[in-house]
Amino acid sequence: MSAMAYIAVSFLVVPLIIIIINNLISRKAAGKVSLYMACACAVIQMASSVTDFFLLSAKHLHEYKFTLLWNMEEAGAEHFGVTSLSLVILFCIGFVSLISVLIAFKTIEHKKISYVNLLMTLILGMNGMVIVTDLFSLYVFLEIVGISSFVLIAMFQSETGLEGAFKYLVMSALASIFILTGLSFIFMYTGSLQYSQIGDILSVKDGSQQTLIYAAVILLISGFAVKTGSVPFHSWLPDAHQSADTAVSVLLSGIVIKVAGIYSFIVLTNLFSGVPAINLTLAIMGIVSIVTGALLALRQTHFKRIVAYSSVSQMGYILLGISTGSTLGLVGAVAHIFNHATFKSTLFANAAALHEQTGTLDINEMGGLQKKMPVTGFSNIAAFLSTAGIPPFAGFWSKLLIIMALWKNSMQVYAGIALFSSILTAAYFLRMQKKVFFGKVPAKYAELKEIGGSIKFAEIMLTIVIIGAGVCFPLALMYLKGRGIL
Amino acid sequence: MLDQISSFLNSGTNLILFMIILPAVFGAAAGLFGKKYVTRLILAVLSATVNLLFAVSLLQSEGFCVTVPFASHGLDIAFNVYGFSSMFLTFTAAGFLLVSLYSVVFLRDKSYAGLFMLYLNISIAMINGALLSDNLGVMLFFWEGLLCTLFGILLINNRENPKAAVKALVLSGTADLLLMLGIIITAYQAGTPYISQMQKLPVSGVSGIGFVCMMFGAVGKAGSLPFHSWIPVAADDAPTPFLAAFPGMLEKFLGIYLAVRIVTDIYDLQPGSGMSIAVMTLGTLTIIIGVAMALIQKDMKRLLAYHAISQVGYMVLGIGTALPVGIIGGLFHMLNHVAYKSCLFMTAGSIEKQTGTTDLRKIGGLAKLMPATAACFIVSGLAIAGVPPFNGFFSKELIFDAALESNVVFYIGALLGAFLTAVSFLKMGRAAFAGELKLPQDRKNVRETSFGMLLPMCVLAVLCILFGVANTLPLDGLLSPALGYTESYSGWPHSAVLVIISVIVLALAVCDHIYGCRKSGSAINAADHIHYAPVLKNVYDAAEKQWFDPYSWIIHVVNAYSALCTYIERGVSWFYDVAAVNAVKGAGNLLHRISNGSLARYLVAAVAGVGCIVIIFLAVLL
Repeated sequence: MSAMAYIAVSFLVVPLIIIIINNLISRKAAGKVSLYMACACAVIQMASSVTDFFLLSAKHLHEYKFTLLWNMEEAGAEHFGVTSLSLVILFCIGFVSLISVLIAFKTIEHKKISYVNLLMTLILGMNGMVIVTDLFSLYVFLEIVGISSFVLIAMFQSETGLEGAFKYLVMSALASIFILTGLSFIFMYTGSLQYSQIGDILSVKDGSQQTLIYAAVILLISGFAVKTGSVPFHSWLPDAHQSADTAVSVLLSGIVIKVAGIYSFIVLTNLFSGVPAINLTLAIMGIVSIVTGALLALRQTHFKRIVAYSSVSQMGYILLGISTGSTLGLVGAVAHIFNHATFKSTLFANAAALHEQTGTLDINEMGGLQKKMPVTGFSNIAAFLSTAGIPPFAGFWSKLLIIMALWKNSMQVYAGIALFSSILTAAYFLRMQKKVFFGKVPAKYAELKEIGGSIKFAEIMLTIVIIGAGVCFPLALMYLKGRGIL
Repeated sequence: MLDQISSFLNSGTNLILFMIILPAVFGAAAGLFGKKYVTRLILAVLSATVNLLFAVSLLQSEGFCVTVPFASHGLDIAFNVYGFSSMFLTFTAAGFLLVSLYSVVFLRDKSYAGLFMLYLNISIAMINGALLSDNLGVMLFFWEGLLCTLFGILLINNRENPKAAVKALVLSGTADLLLMLGIIITAYQAGTPYISQMQKLPVSGVSGIGFVCMMFGAVGKAGSLPFHSWIPVAADDAPTPFLAAFPGMLEKFLGIYLAVRIVTDIYDLQPGSGMSIAVMTLGTLTIIIGVAMALIQKDMKRLLAYHAISQVGYMVLGIGTALPVGIIGGLFHMLNHVAYKSCLFMTAGSIEKQTGTTDLRKIGGLAKLMPATAACFIVSGLAIAGVPPFNGFFSKELIFDAALESNVVFYIGALLGAFLTAVSFLKMGRAAFAGELKLPQDRKNVRETSFGMLLPMCVLAVLCILFGVANTLPLDGLLSPALGYTESYSGWPHSAVLVIISVIVLALAVCDHIYGCRKSGSAINAADHIHYAPVLKNVYDAAEKQWFDPYSWIIHVVNAYSALCTYIERGVSWFYDVAAVNAVKGAGNLLHRISNGSLARYLVAAVAGVGCIVIIFLAVLL
């Protein structure tokens, strides 16, 4: 096996090994080292994905295929595969997991071992979703992601956590029904669920049973939309984000909804590129999500709820990028996935810092914290400016790419609305920034101190990444141009 | 050394550049170092004398063209010296010498004297540049430069409340804008911005618009309707030497110079054509309206300011006829006007300097105390009234001649103007100088004005007589050759009828004055019977409320526009501050109320979402 193969396999094997170690050693020892092991896993994943990315581009390969223990040459055998796109997402998974662990160092006191076990399962599920090459395996890993998420949401706090998890569970059940039914329709029609074969069969067969395919696509879109949290399937998302521990919220918002929802949509649009209705549906859903999410965020008073609704809104942008069906739009969407991971992680790290120091996340109770917590305040500014798409922060470039792609695709109205919604984004975050960090300090916070340790480290690192990515983004574009992708 | 200087001065380019640069340098020196009166006096005399020498040497040289090498293509700074423009240069330089001397003495104790000299000298530089320019665009540059110095001078005394300065800037600025437009059209139509290369353009179609715009700009600078109304306001606010220098002299030179060039060199204005009639109408209206307003003034400076407007009308009327006799009459009248009007402004300045006021209600009988000033006033007053053999009489007769040849209406208008001019000067002269001595209460030691101020006045008064008695000198010696006319217009007017009519008009004016004095009981109110005549009273009331002032129209339009903008601005603000915010908030509240946390509702929403997707698919497929 080549170096690439070892690295590719590590995406599945490393989380598994850590789960095994975590449960083999004594509980006392595990309590001490488990978070560090999770940290190591995240770092290994980031390193692996970067290395694999450059190996892949050095070999001029579109996709690297591999298996675990079986021979993929046999008839009907499945295989895994990584592409440049999936490696970027794998990197994001590692990145957000690292932030989550850094936050967990501060916020989680009990149940560290369970947290690490579930986190590893979650990473395994997400990695699996990204590297599989057939729809049914995608569904299986989607369920793994879903179930580990429910438990992660529910396990820390008593009542509200349960409520959020329950809502997510119910909605996910609905999504599972949709997806499974859709898959069975497709299987009825094509006799296979492998990506490569579905495309071939669809292009060969004539339109005798088209209705079946359309029904399947509608069901799949609905199911994935629940997982993405786009309007009108978003209702579980704010509750789940708000009630979960911040270390879990950052995972949910930063990566789970993207891998479970957005990545599935990317697969779907690739497979059914001959169905223009998919693109229109995604575009309309995207616009509605952007506007509704932003309007609802304006109204909230809970820090994490604002950020959660902001996620709904930002997922809309990514959906718009995907809906163009062009390479430019896809690049914009993937860039926005990465940027969203950075700035949402920052905001949740700030939420964790505020919650640790003040004991609340109600923005009406806070005020003037910029003087008390300058690092948190500054990273918050960087994050929300990036979200609103203000140059030179990273979010500007990805939004620009998406809007350019929309324009080139003669979807000017969508581009206009997307552009104007940036004002709403800035509005709700400015409101939040003003209430939390500007103005007078309430008397009870007179002795407040800046957060220290891993969360401060995470905040500083993320701010550097946001600004650095923004400044260096043209380099990435030049690289893509050099490889002939753009 | 001397050889070098003389060879240096023999080069035409250097002479031309020095005409522009030297006054500016002297002005800067006066502004910087002119703390002492003596320094200012020396600088003023030196600057004006050098300027005059240069101008005379240019006048004696043969015409030549110079293109200054440092300029971008298409905007070459081209100068053209030929008889006509160097004649005007000489006029300007001579007038500058007198005015400069007068100003220095008049402003002896004033703290702003240095600043005034700076502006005056820069104005001369600008005027020299404008007179010399061959390129219309370059001329416009100098022309606008004069507007800047005008604004600056008017600001000197009134920085807190620059009413006159703003009014002058708006009105002259509008005139200059028209001129710019006219120059663009003319240069486009002629295919060249150089006057010396232009073929005479016909006054019709697009070129007609160009003619009208340029003409408005030129006569507007001279102070004609409808760009006149800043001059009376300036008479209230500005130092008196300004009045003698700018509305009395320099602006007349510049404006009339361009008007004549438009008619003779740039455009082919035919006598009797519609455009000619239009220009003559403008001139006649200016005469009558200006003098009618002058008639009712009770302040010397204001009265003279209105006459400065009125007299432009004669020049415009004469030039507008497009007949040689009219054009030469207009030019001669300009020359005469500069002599007597500057002299009149200077006498008003002398009285102001001695008594502290120019309000005719406060002074009287000054002839005994200030005999020389009174003599200058009488000479120049007779000249402006058109009494033979003073210079005003001869130029007016030439214009009457031309007006009568065009249309009798203009002649009658011009006669009416002459009548009212005579009436108003009888009133003013008798009120100020004749009768019993009357002084403002705080003034005791009123005596004859100082020599430095008297000298320019006397020179101008002598000129008034000289140009009248020996009118061959200016007419045949200067104007006819400069215009290229071979016919002689000098000597006694050839039409005895016209002379008789003019004399009758003057006699009527005297009768009217006597009647007015009898009726009202005093010389100062001698014009009241005209002022308060049944219909005229209402017209005068309206005029004093500034109903006829184009500036107040402009101001009203501007105010209305800004009010409109305020409403629009308020609407826009309301949209941003109230409507948009409330719409966003309302939408947020509505959505918030809908998502109330009920799981059943969420499930219904999800199913409805599936329905929506189905609808989208159906819409695309069907």
